Amino acid sequence: MRKEPKRYDLVILGRGAAAFSAAIKGSEISNGEMSIALIGTGPLGGTCVNVGCVPSKYLLEASHRVFMPKHPRIDGIYETIVNHDFSTVMKGLRSYVRDARESKYAEVIRNYNNVTLYDGLGKFLDRKTVGIEDDKGRNVRIVSGSNILIATGSRPSIPNIEGLTEAGFLTSDSLWDIDKLPSSVAIIGGGAIGLEIGQALLHFGSRVTIVEAMDSLLPQTESEIGSALRTLLEKEGMKFYMRARISRVHKYRKKKSVEIITHKGKEKIAVDEVLLATGREPNTKNLNLEVAGVKTDPRGMILTEASMRTTSPGVYAAGDCVSKKLFLETLAAREGVIAVSNMFGETANIDYGSSAWAVFTYPQVAGVGMTENEFSKKNGSCLCRTFPLSNLTKASIMGETEGLIKITVDPKDNRIAGMQIMAPNATDMITEGAYAVRNGYTIDDIIATSHIFPSMSEGIKIAAQSFIRDITKMSCCVE
Amino acid sequence: MEVGKVKLRIYGMTCGDCVTKISRSLLEKQGVMDVNISLQEGLGEVEFDPTDLKPGDILKNHVFSRNSHYRATLIE
Ligand SMILES: Cc1cc2nc3c(=O)[nH]c(=O)nc-3n(C[C@H](O)[C@H](O)[C@H](O)COP(=O)(O)OP(=O)(O)OC[C@H]3O[C@@H](n4cnc5c(N)ncnc54)[C@H](O)[C@@H]3O)c2cc1C
Repeated sequence: MRKEPKRYDLVILGRGAAAFSAAIKGSEISNGEMSIALIGTGPLGGTCVNVGCVPSKYLLEASHRVFMPKHPRIDGIYETIVNHDFSTVMKGLRSYVRDARESKYAEVIRNYNNVTLYDGLGKFLDRKTVGIEDDKGRNVRIVSGSNILIATGSRPSIPNIEGLTEAGFLTSDSLWDIDKLPSSVAIIGGGAIGLEIGQALLHFGSRVTIVEAMDSLLPQTESEIGSALRTLLEKEGMKFYMRARISRVHKYRKKKSVEIITHKGKEKIAVDEVLLATGREPNTKNLNLEVAGVKTDPRGMILTEASMRTTSPGVYAAGDCVSKKLFLETLAAREGVIAVSNMFGETANIDYGSSAWAVFTYPQVAGVGMTENEFSKKNGSCLCRTFPLSNLTKASIMGETEGLIKITVDPKDNRIAGMQIMAPNATDMITEGAYAVRNGYTIDDIIATSHIFPSMSEGIKIAAQSFIRDITKMSCCVE
Repeated sequence: MEVGKVKLRIYGMTCGDCVTKISRSLLEKQGVMDVNISLQEGLGEVEFDPTDLKPGDILKNHVFSRNSHYRATLIE
């Protein structure tokens, strides 16, 4: 006979960004009365704080501190070699992650007496009941929830490549434990994660080769940005194999030999380390979703409405396990809040259309809304302008003119439909685009809004002005 | 047509007045037929006419709105 389950108002599978934001929202709305079970394995906080956003941005920032002084951009400032010790940097990174996990997750959740943490993996026994398994697969507890939130996230996918397992490899889960900088690395996958980690290692002094299956970088971005970023990374010394795949990896003395197939044929490179960045797959396989009536797409990602409701009443999903296009901490947290708000009868929907995304290379890439292509496909025509940073006073003073700002506008009413930016601080600048897309601002609204001169964000105003006048002939004082 | 029934988990109730206030508010809504609330358990049972209302509509009541002291979720 099955043991009587322990009953909760809300059972959450997962302990990452989506799970935490949902647990806190539920506690706040109910004034701490909602009983919540938070189930999961691994360190609290999930991907973002432990092996995602936080360590990757730390590594990038540290690497730029080593690289930039070696590559000064202002006359009279000379190349400086920065003394550094990679293993101490990595120790600092791990200690920062530990502190962030403790202060932003562990301590926070200890303050919520209504939340019970369970260690183990959750698995549906029926629509309302979840079994918790320990690391040996033994069922150690049964809980039931009036509402259930699936927030089990994702993990790096491991492609089936001959010899890979035997040769050994790193992923974005394991990279943070290394103490020695590999002198050469092959990164399989040229998406956001591959490029960010690739540039960080390159800036520390690794020789980095990216092997990418597609023919352009960051296919979700405007093509100008993908190719500008590639040119810049190549100038820094990164090597690219595009439209390429790895057929075999094998250990060769202390090195790894990587066999790459391109349209030109087979080529071999020898590297110290191989890092996989070929995408992520959802943690949904072992959840027993069928008994709960929760449907997934063919990749195993959970199908939800914009309210984060799944196909099963009373079961919601949020975060990287959800079927969608953008996988971000910010979205995971927002989706968790939306799911819980709807449990309380509110009418909240996720708005992917005005969600900003970013790639934290240097310069950074960030975007919001539709690209030129997406808008044209949907509406037949669009209006867009690309403003190169070489025309921007602040960028040329800094000697950082490689970027651009592209704005796509709905020709019907001049509303901003999308914005993409490649600039040193694009991740900060893009918030202006997010406001514009979310609130339906027009190019006139942007022009009429005061922007500081000289600043990077002034570039957004000039990009907007370029819809109405020839900016190459414009004085920098023109309103 | 069979009468619809939902169970609610109600948060924020502290006394008998809360029960009266929430019950009255729920009953004001067109289609709600009967309300039974337990202060001790923080639970409520609502019977409604399914031609007028869906289960989720029971929560769309000003007594459970953002500015209210009371909030509720559906249990079944
Ligand atoms: C290298 C890297 C860099 C990134 N950088 C950024 C960035 O700069 N900005 C940004 O916005 N996003 C970034 N992201 C994405 C971001 O980290 C994720 O979108 C976000 O962390 C997803 O949160 P989540 O709550 O959905 O999942 P997770 O944080 O992955 O949490 C899921 C949790 O569920 C647990 N779990 C799995 N199976 C079960 C089960 N059966 N039962 C119970 N628990 C289970 C897991 O152990 C995990 O703790 C990055 C990701 C990576 C990998």
